[in-house]
Amino acid sequence: METVIEVKDLVKEYIIVKKESGLRGSIKSLLFPKKTKFNGVNGISFSIAPGEIVGYIGPNGAGKSTTIKMLTGILHPTSGSIKVCGISPQADRKAVVRKLGVVFGQRTQLYWDLRLGESFELLCRIYQIDQQAYDDNLAILTDVLKLQEFINTPVRQLSLGQRMRGDIAAAMLHSPSVLFLDEPTIGLDADAKHAIRNFIKEINRTRGVTVILTTHDLDDVEQLCSRIIVVNNGKLVEDGPIGSIIHKLTPHRLLVVELHEPADDLTTPHATVIKQEGLKIWYQFEKESISASELIAALSQKLPIQDISVKEPNVEDAIREVYKTTATR
Amino acid sequence: MLQAYWYITKMKLLVNLTYRFEVFTSVATNLILMLASVFLWQTAYKGGSGSVESLSLQDITTYTILSIIISTIFVCDVQNTIYYKIREGQIVTDFYRPIPLFACYLAEDIGEMLSSLLNRALPLVVFASIFFGIPWPASFGSFLLFLPSCLLSYAILWLLSALIGLIAFWVMELGNMGNVKDAIVRVLSGSIVPLWFFPESVQTVSKFLPFQYTYQTPLGIYIGNTSMSEALTSMAVQAVWIAVLYLILAAGWARTKKKTLIQGG
Ligand SMILES: Nc1ncnc2c1ncn2[C@@H]1O[C@H](COP(=O)(O)OP(=O)(O)OP(=O)(O)O)[C@@H](O)[C@H]1O
Ligand SMILES: [Mg+2]
Repeated sequence: METVIEVKDLVKEYIIVKKESGLRGSIKSLLFPKKTKFNGVNGISFSIAPGEIVGYIGPNGAGKSTTIKMLTGILHPTSGSIKVCGISPQADRKAVVRKLGVVFGQRTQLYWDLRLGESFELLCRIYQIDQQAYDDNLAILTDVLKLQEFINTPVRQLSLGQRMRGDIAAAMLHSPSVLFLDEPTIGLDADAKHAIRNFIKEINRTRGVTVILTTHDLDDVEQLCSRIIVVNNGKLVEDGPIGSIIHKLTPHRLLVVELHEPADDLTTPHATVIKQEGLKIWYQFEKESISASELIAALSQKLPIQDISVKEPNVEDAIREVYKTTATR
Repeated sequence: MLQAYWYITKMKLLVNLTYRFEVFTSVATNLILMLASVFLWQTAYKGGSGSVESLSLQDITTYTILSIIISTIFVCDVQNTIYYKIREGQIVTDFYRPIPLFACYLAEDIGEMLSSLLNRALPLVVFASIFFGIPWPASFGSFLLFLPSCLLSYAILWLLSALIGLIAFWVMELGNMGNVKDAIVRVLSGSIVPLWFFPESVQTVSKFLPFQYTYQTPLGIYIGNTSMSEALTSMAVQAVWIAVLYLILAAGWARTKKKTLIQGG
């Protein structure tokens, strides 16, 4: 199989200096620092094929940003190997970063003192982009990300959403084949999120850009990613297509039944009642053992049913399940 | 690539030329410093025999004025840039661009240097000329030697500053070491009081340190306190220091890249 990203047994060890409280404590820890080691990323392996959009998700502190920093050559792994486009970012950072676009949602790579357009000009020179290619690319980016209104505004005066769009454009100017997005929708309104999601889909479809995305917004994941990699405590816990992960982690569905009059016996051998509120009853059933229509048929024989709906588990349920089972340290 | 550096320099220059208030405060502070220093020297010379260590009052006045003027031009922000970028985790964005990061910081500092030349140094020259007369060089020849020597001085100062920046990649707890370095440079470079006034032992030790080659060397050349051959020797020593510091920086940077400390997700 062809791969753009190949990660094997990746480990990043952080050294933490423990600070003690109080003046005495801080003097003590300045002179005799108590150092402890811990692995922010603890043996992760995966590979990503060209053109995939992969959601890299996990709870706070799971090691997502740390992984991205290693993939983009910013941090050196303690052990393990990384190949991006066949090159190790640690061995040849400059060659690798030419092929990468990177956005850290919480930081900006734009130049604070310059106008947005001037930041782009500078990046054009840094990446030595051919003028024609640059003009074309910028025109497209300006159009899709709607940058016209603020392209001449100094970066420090941009709103968060404007800045994020600027940052994403900046990451795409040199037509990278891989795009890393670390929380690209953090703090954005529905409109801006929508614009950014559309943009990601668009570049993936038209240019075949591979996208690796971390986010806490599971709508991003649901709308964009065909595959997710779930990490927790620095370890990989799930990796696969969204559908099968949901299926595997939450094999049950819910059937919500509303009655028009109270009934005595609500039980059924095929499902369990997990909640009841007045005339509304929640049944949980395994989708492997019975289909929704069979269950509805069975229930309607004994209950005065008025209304009925089936709830599919979504990504959020699945993710919560993962976080629960891989308890934090 | 060169185009990129030039663009950084140009933009920094243009941006800085728009900061009016900062310029005003800088000129005012340096002017006060200049007046105070010159009056101090005048008082000191009044009590003595007229000239100390073969330096006339005129020489030392010129030395002091020039020292303050070039200090406004020798912009070495690299140490602070790195310190704050690391502190805030902003340094990551400089790491994923295919361009050497120290070279970018140098380009920024040069841009700032050019703007300072126009809006800080020039006003100071004018004020100094009004108060104390134009601070002429000893001769046209010494002026010609002064210029390249200044460039070499700047290279030494910048490399020292970059090395301090490098420390921030390793230890954040120490705070900004730049302030400590700046204090040492101020004293040992002869920027306030020329080292010729210091005890013999200090002067001897100082010969083997890079500091005196940053201010005292070009200023000594300017006021004609060094002979032609002495001047050339000092400039050779400056070049050696540049080579040494550059090698240390390159080696240190190669190691640092592997151990970069990055704050925050
Ligand atoms: N410079 C550092 N020094 C020490 N520990 C660090 C450092 N950076 C990150 N860590 C630790 O490594 C772990 C992983 O951090 P990371 O930033 O990768 O998490 P994340 O998955 O991106 O979380 P979030 O969703 O909150 O952004 C955390 O426990 C964090 O405290
Ligand atoms: Mg993160």
